[in-house]
Parts: sequence; structure tokens; C-alpha cells
Amino acid sequence: MKLGLVIDLDTCVGCHACATACKEWNGSSAISGPLSDYDPYGAEPSGVWFNRVRHYEVGQYPDSKTINFPMSCLHCEDAACVTVCPTGASYKRADGIVLVDQDKCMGCNLCAWACPYGARELDEESGCMKKCTLCVDRIDNITLPEAERQPACVLACPTHARHFGDFDDPQSNVSKLTAERGGFKLLDELGYAPVNRYLPPRAPPAVATAAPASESAVRGEGALSRLVRLARQTLAR
Amino acid sequence: MKPAFSVLFFTVLSGAGLGALALLSALDLFAMSGALRMPIPPPLMPIALAIALAFVLTGLSSSTLHLANPKNGWRSATRWRTSWLSREALIAIVLVLMASCYGLAWWLIAAPTLRLLLALCTLLAAWGTLHCTAMIYASLKPIRQWHTWRVPLSYFLLGHASGALLVAGIARSVGLSGDAVIAIASAFLIAAAAAKIEYWRYIASEAGVITIERAIGVAHGVHGAPVPGRSAASRSVMAARLFDSGHARGTFLMREFLVTVTARRRRGVQWVMWIGAFVLPLAWLTFGSPHWPGALLAVSASIIGLLAERWLFFADARHTVRLFHGDPRT
Repeated sequence: MKLGLVIDLDTCVGCHACATACKEWNGSSAISGPLSDYDPYGAEPSGVWFNRVRHYEVGQYPDSKTINFPMSCLHCEDAACVTVCPTGASYKRADGIVLVDQDKCMGCNLCAWACPYGARELDEESGCMKKCTLCVDRIDNITLPEAERQPACVLACPTHARHFGDFDDPQSNVSKLTAERGGFKLLDELGYAPVNRYLPPRAPPAVATAAPASESAVRGEGALSRLVRLARQTLAR
Repeated sequence: MKPAFSVLFFTVLSGAGLGALALLSALDLFAMSGALRMPIPPPLMPIALAIALAFVLTGLSSSTLHLANPKNGWRSATRWRTSWLSREALIAIVLVLMASCYGLAWWLIAAPTLRLLLALCTLLAAWGTLHCTAMIYASLKPIRQWHTWRVPLSYFLLGHASGALLVAGIARSVGLSGDAVIAIASAFLIAAAAAKIEYWRYIASEAGVITIERAIGVAHGVHGAPVPGRSAASRSVMAARLFDSGHARGTFLMREFLVTVTARRRRGVQWVMWIGAFVLPLAWLTFGSPHWPGALLAVSASIIGLLAERWLFFADARHTVRLFHGDPRT
């Protein structure tokens, strides 16, 4: 078993539903305890999140693209956060999920330094390190209907940009998606073998672009057609 | 990286103490083999060892101050098979025991064989602790400024330079000339300065640099296949930039990894390092006289200079998390 997520950068619209669903479910979870908020209604609200969505702009216009980029723990096969942990609080389950035992963590931050992805955040109130649990308390929970035994972020995603499954099974949805769409590993050169994969944006269909109207043509147009053009532009805004 | 003062204080003080313990035990081993005459007179040895041990213990206790949940600190000795921090905790305990026994052996004038054995154990444990401290940083692949052999080398040389300076200070405080120790301290100071210069040359180079485009997986363009109607040249320019970090205010990641230092402040701290850790101690070693006020000043200047050096070590470190927050390169 090698459980993890496939995140589709082509269909992600950057709505942060996954991040808020994660915060909601795990905020009351017994696995990591509450995800503390500091100054939640004040001027500088901050707090612990397992999942953060960032937005990037790539390339130069007209060859540019916005990429919405959700990031949570990638549950690395060679997880450096577990290797460096001096107390044994960080561990990896047989199914590949990396967890933190909140009763053992001493809050030294070394695992957060060892993680290249910024997947771990220190809870300043409990003094313990917090991270994505892949919602073990959902996927292990036999009292939930089978369709709901998935991470909260996957269930919340309105564009189905997130998929949960077993990467060890070549017939699983995540293995098939990775093979079909060329799913890649983040910062693979560091050698941590992250399990989660990202699907690159698809190439857009070719669209024939009309040649822009020349200056003389614009200057020569009649008053009426200029009015119609202006009205169209205003409406288009 | 955020320079946590307790960690700076810990590595500098325990580094000096460990260097001094290693030097004292190594000198004793050489003296016992007849290779040289002991530069520190026997009655002074237990005192010198106690002062060095006090530096180590002060440093080690300050290291617990940066723990967010210190009640679980005792567990840090359990994962020595994989974790350099755990190894450091264990070998530091061994070192404190060995150095205490070694000091007692001098105090109680124990049999030379026993003293020899304890000197050897102290020397190895001091080196081991210094190495583990450095490897905590050097083993972290996401920080290219730390993931290099230059880091353990610098920690070793700076620890021995400040430790030798401490021993020279103790010798001169009681009116000894301490020529051998002064020569050793000067040699370590010059070697440590050279290691620092090499370290800064290395981190200014392109070695191991990762870009934001690599981090978010668009180094070869957004789409695998060429887009019809667009030239290959326009696709190769795929500079990425952060459009929105997704949160309105600070996060743990920003506080921990996104500390940025102005070039002016960095230069100022670098001057403190050069003058405090190298110029003043070398000047005192060369021109100083056997009196305690000069020794105290030289050792204090060295500690302040090394705190500046350790601050720079943290401020210069650029973790890959910075890429995801919009830094163009590490």
C-alpha cells in the first residue's frame, strides 16, 4: 500500500475549498488535536493549516498561464522528516502515511527544516508539530459509508482536481491518472520520492487568432460603428 | 532561516567548550607519549577542564530553550539510529560524563593509565559532539547553504579556534606565557577564517541552486507538447512568479523560513564577525601579555564574533520553502 493524492493542476481553479475542508475536519480531529488559530478575529490572524493553496503566473503574455497550486504533505517514501526526528514522534505507517505522535513531539522544528515542501507547521499553542494526516480518521473509519472514506480535501473539491488512492496498485485511479497525464513528483532531485503526484496543465486547443485591425482602418471607421464598438467594449467589461 | 538566539548561543558556547576539552585532552595524550611538555601545569588542569565543561553545559542547557514542548525533551535520545540531533544528545551526555571523570582524574591524581584512557574518551566524545552538531545542519538537503562538507569543517575549526583561545586565556590569566597553546590557537583561527572564506565562495556559486520553475514543475514550460502557432523560443521563456500566496497574514512557514536580511545589516554583522572572532583574538595572541583582563576581553570578543558568525549562518540559509513563496531561486 502506498496511499497518496493526485492533484490536477489543469482543473484546479484555486478556490481553497480543499484547504478549508481540511481545516474544518482536522480542527476537531483526535489525530492531531485542534489546529490552533492565533488572533483569529484580530488584525494579524494566523494559525495552523495542513493544506495551503498558492497561485503562480507562468510565462509571458500571450504565452502565460495562471497555475493554482495546492500543497499539503506529499507522504514521501524516503521521508526526511521521519529520519531527522530525534524523539520518534514522526513515523510512517505501513500504508505510507506519515504522521506525528502528538504525545512524543518536543517541538524542535527539525522536521519542518528537513521538509522541502513546507508541509509541517508548528502549533505554537500545544508546542507540537502538525501535518496532513491524509485524514486517517476518515479512511480508516468503517462507520462511514465507503464512498466517504477519503480525505476531506478530495471530497470537497468542486472540480475533481484531487484524487485519493493506492499508488502500489497499477489499476487504481491514481496510478492510471499519473500514467495517462504524465504526473510528476515535486523537487524529485532531492531524492525524497514524494508519493503525491501533480498532473501538469493540458495544452490548450489551438485557436486561430485574428490579425489586429490596422490603425488606418480604425481611424477610417464611421461614427456609428465607433459608437457600437465602444458600447460593446463597455458591456464586455 | 530565522536565527533562534538560543541555538546560536548553544552552538557557539558548546563549540568553544568542546574545542577546549578536545585540545586539553589531546595535549595531555601528546605529553604522556613524551612528544611534548604539557603547556598547562598539572594543578591548573582540573580548573581548565571545569571551565571548558561549564561552557559546554551552559550551551547544552540553552539548547533546550528553543523547544516548543520541552517536557518531551528526554525522548530526543531515543532515535540515534537515524537522527543527528538524537546522536548529538546521546554523545553529549557521554562527553559530560567522560570530561567530568577526566577532570576528577587530574584532581585526585589518578593512575596515568586511567587518565590516558579518560583523555582519549574525552577527545573522541568532544569531536563526536562537534561533528553531530554540524551534521544536524549539513544533513538537510532542502537548504543548499547547509548541505555541504564545508559546514562540519567550519564547526570543527571554529570550535577548536575558540576553544584554544579559551585555553590560552586561562594560561595567560595565571601569568603563564602558554607559547604552544598560542601557536595552536593562532593556527586554528587562520584555518577557520580560510574555511569561512571558502564557505562564502561556495554559497555564492551556482552549486545546487533550485529555481521557482523547478519547484513548481514548469522548468520546461507549462505544457509538454508545443502549442501550434507559437514559436519554440517564446515557450522556452517560462519565468514563474508568485501571484498570490493564498493567505492574508503571516504563517509559521513565513516566520520560520522567509526571514530576509538587508545587505547593509548583513555587512554590519559580517564586520562584527571578522573583528570579534578573528582580528581581536589574533592581535591579543600576538601582542597580548600574560594578564587576565586582556584574556577576558579576547575570549568575550571571540564569543560575540562567533554569535555574529552563527547569525549569518542562519540568515544566509535559503530553504526551498522560499521558492513556493515566490523567491526566484534558493
